Amino acid sequence: MIDVLTAFSRIVIILFVAIFTFIDLFLIFERRLGQALGDALIIIQRIVIFLFLGLCTYICWLNLNNPWPIYIFLLAILSFVLIILSLKNVGSSLSAGLVNNVLFFLAMSFVELERLNMDSALRQAIFCLVAILISFGIIILLKRIYQIERFYYIFFIIGIFLLSLVYFLGSREYGAKLSLSFGNISIQPSEFVKISFCFFVCSCIAIFKNIKGLILATIGSVFHILILVMCKDLGTALIYALCYMFISFIAYKNYLLLLVEIGVGIFAGYFAYNNFPHIQRRFLAYTDPLSVAEDQGYQLSQSLFAIGSGSFFGQGLFKGQPKKIPVVTKDFIFASIAEEMGGIVAICLIIVFICSFILIFNLAYRCHNSFYMLVTCCIAIIFAIQTLLNIGGVIKFIPSTGVTLPFISYGGSSLLSMFICFYIAENGEVLNEN
Amino acid sequence: MKTSRLSKRKEIYIVASIFVLVFVVMIVFFAKFINEDARDFVYNQYNSRFSVFSDDYVRGTIYSSDKKPLATTKLDEDKKEYRDYPYERLFSHAIGYTGHGMTGLEAYYSFDLLKSHNDLQDQIDSSLSGKKILGDNIYTTLNVETQKAAYEGLGLYDGAVIAIEPDTGKVIAMVSKPDFDPNSIDVYWDNITGKDSSKSALLNRATMGNYPPGSTFKIVSTLAYLRDNNGDDSFSYNCNGEFPVDDYTIHCSSKEKHGKEDLKEAFSNSCNSAFAKIGVDLDRDVFMKTAQSLMFNENLPTQIGQTSIPEFNIDSKTSDKLLAQTAIGQGQTVVSPLYMCMLVSAIANDGVLMEPYMVDKIVSADGQYIDENLPSQYRRIMTVKEANTLSDYMESVVQEGTARKVDFKGLKVYGKTGTAEYSDDKEMAHSWFVGYATDDNGKELAVAVIMEGAGYGSKFAAPLAAKVFDAYFN
Repeated sequence: MIDVLTAFSRIVIILFVAIFTFIDLFLIFERRLGQALGDALIIIQRIVIFLFLGLCTYICWLNLNNPWPIYIFLLAILSFVLIILSLKNVGSSLSAGLVNNVLFFLAMSFVELERLNMDSALRQAIFCLVAILISFGIIILLKRIYQIERFYYIFFIIGIFLLSLVYFLGSREYGAKLSLSFGNISIQPSEFVKISFCFFVCSCIAIFKNIKGLILATIGSVFHILILVMCKDLGTALIYALCYMFISFIAYKNYLLLLVEIGVGIFAGYFAYNNFPHIQRRFLAYTDPLSVAEDQGYQLSQSLFAIGSGSFFGQGLFKGQPKKIPVVTKDFIFASIAEEMGGIVAICLIIVFICSFILIFNLAYRCHNSFYMLVTCCIAIIFAIQTLLNIGGVIKFIPSTGVTLPFISYGGSSLLSMFICFYIAENGEVLNEN
Repeated sequence: MKTSRLSKRKEIYIVASIFVLVFVVMIVFFAKFINEDARDFVYNQYNSRFSVFSDDYVRGTIYSSDKKPLATTKLDEDKKEYRDYPYERLFSHAIGYTGHGMTGLEAYYSFDLLKSHNDLQDQIDSSLSGKKILGDNIYTTLNVETQKAAYEGLGLYDGAVIAIEPDTGKVIAMVSKPDFDPNSIDVYWDNITGKDSSKSALLNRATMGNYPPGSTFKIVSTLAYLRDNNGDDSFSYNCNGEFPVDDYTIHCSSKEKHGKEDLKEAFSNSCNSAFAKIGVDLDRDVFMKTAQSLMFNENLPTQIGQTSIPEFNIDSKTSDKLLAQTAIGQGQTVVSPLYMCMLVSAIANDGVLMEPYMVDKIVSADGQYIDENLPSQYRRIMTVKEANTLSDYMESVVQEGTARKVDFKGLKVYGKTGTAEYSDDKEMAHSWFVGYATDDNGKELAVAVIMEGAGYGSKFAAPLAAKVFDAYFN
């Protein structure tokens, strides 16, 4: 009986996700929709998320035969309500569209995590509540600081200090130094330095508005990136570098600058490829994962087996074997979604990611304050690059770089830093107005 | 509140568009992967996702083209499922085995054998009553009698035989030795995967073998000569049994002197000296391009799983000595029996290559659903005129050339023998025969035979091919 239900729920899940995605595509063009229709679509999306989460919770409950999925469901609804209430005053259906996307990612994350590992799901749900409170607090704080860009050097010091801490005290995971451990809690400072880094770059540019700002931003970025390279956290280094590149292009409107930066980037990539054996190994695992399927290509091969056996319609929740993929709850969670919910859901998910960063760029366009305009752009860029690196790596579109999927991968640091970014983007328009 | 010059800018949308573009490319890549490339991954030996016996489905039966079961699922005394192979060793490589991973069709079609296209209502009923659903059955293109002839003909020799229907690409027989009994793979596992992996019984030599082609490669050299001379075959050579090149001498087989001969005679006598001369005189670029047009150095277009890549390499730095050796099939060229069979089947089919396939149709257990696999054309690899010329030459091999003494029981046969040296010991050579036969009704069959270390192609491989033709046509 459970089998039959699971099999039929598969189609319904695809339907829910497709409806949500379809509405999302309309919401990008919210200006032409009109207030009433926009609001109606927002409500429909929220109902769809609620039904999706409810149905998946029911399937998990049937298959796991314990009440934990229901507790997760309640925690999830609590966080959703908190998010909606805490962002209510910002208002426009543009930002409400982004809120819905984040709720959708979280619902997806909770469902997939409780299917993979109940313990992780529970932790993630609690992280989520904590992250909402902290992010809300940070927004209140930011509202009280006038012209925060004056403190550009403080952001630089914070960033360099935290990254050096990782370099000197960090513990190694998969060959790279990523995290600091305190007892059984480990945090990844590079996730938070993302935010201080983008504050630093944007404030340099916003304060000086000339070549001096560019030079300061460039020198500061190079320092950040060098420390990350020394920690062998090349995925994050790449995110910082691309973020710096695009934001300086947006700020200075200079195509020559963009070309020079791309040139330097290619040279650096070439240099890194020749000097880091583990990049070469990753590259080999990327070009021909099956030839090293039992070695460095193991993770990618398992991921591709999962995606392939899921095909377009998926195996159905609990019908696949996503646990065969190493570190599936973190970097490779997209593969497990593709396996059990199917390629159509996975493609819809990518489209929702696209809509999300377009919405953030739209929010940036509306900022009156040049500093928060740049910061919001930075957030959109980080969000897009991180999604691209993660999903691209999982599906063998690009070599895998070991970055997390925003809002979906398991991990407190990444969730919190994404929440802070999300809250800043939502509030960018009203921040620094008085 | 200050509205800065920096705020309104179109660069935001340029950057956004770049990202949207990359993401859209990624979605297309992803959809293409699921739609096309995923099969190669899902059926890979490293994929441990599909256990042989599923909890929900009974693994379907694999049938021969004449509806004889080749692999079925049975229950032992304890009602435990096991896989039964009634023909034991006969189809060991073609069908493959289950347990310790999977190979052959068992692996490549595992997905289909463990799926059901039965009526949905039946499936729901079975699922509700806790019974297993019967998986789909597979009807192969393999013919038991032809397979038997090939298997028995190979006898105690190591080697491979493959037979393909030229106008469809259907694989009729596929044998590789040494072999194994798939019924007792567990028992043999340690033995066959032991130290001596070069003699591994698990390797399918028909599709994965890498052999020097020997004189069968003269088919390619002849085509290259014709292309180099714009189709003109007026060639004349006076053979005195040897051809010196650099510090090396190429000899004709058995020290024979063929005397004055044209291209067709040189081909049917398999004259090494004449072909060494052709090789040295050939435009290297034309030689390389000819080989490339015949699918050398690329993945073979087949629907039968993993195959080895035929290798051919010459360039402007290649020495004359190596060129001469290459032209007679002794250089660094390697081919699989499957490749040679595909080549002659394209010649038989007027130059058009059909993709080889082994599964004729997939049928649901209740017989209601049928997914038929239709022949699929790969492409024309040579012109009709070229194919006809080569057929004419191959006919003369059987009529008056190296295979004239072989009894083909009245069938019209076109072929080429080969004796491929594979070590410095000139006495040791692989025995090759590649060719095709037609009967009065126009039915055709292409065959490639290799018998390792047996000796002359005309004495060993060609008579075996005759048995295979006989089993198929009569």
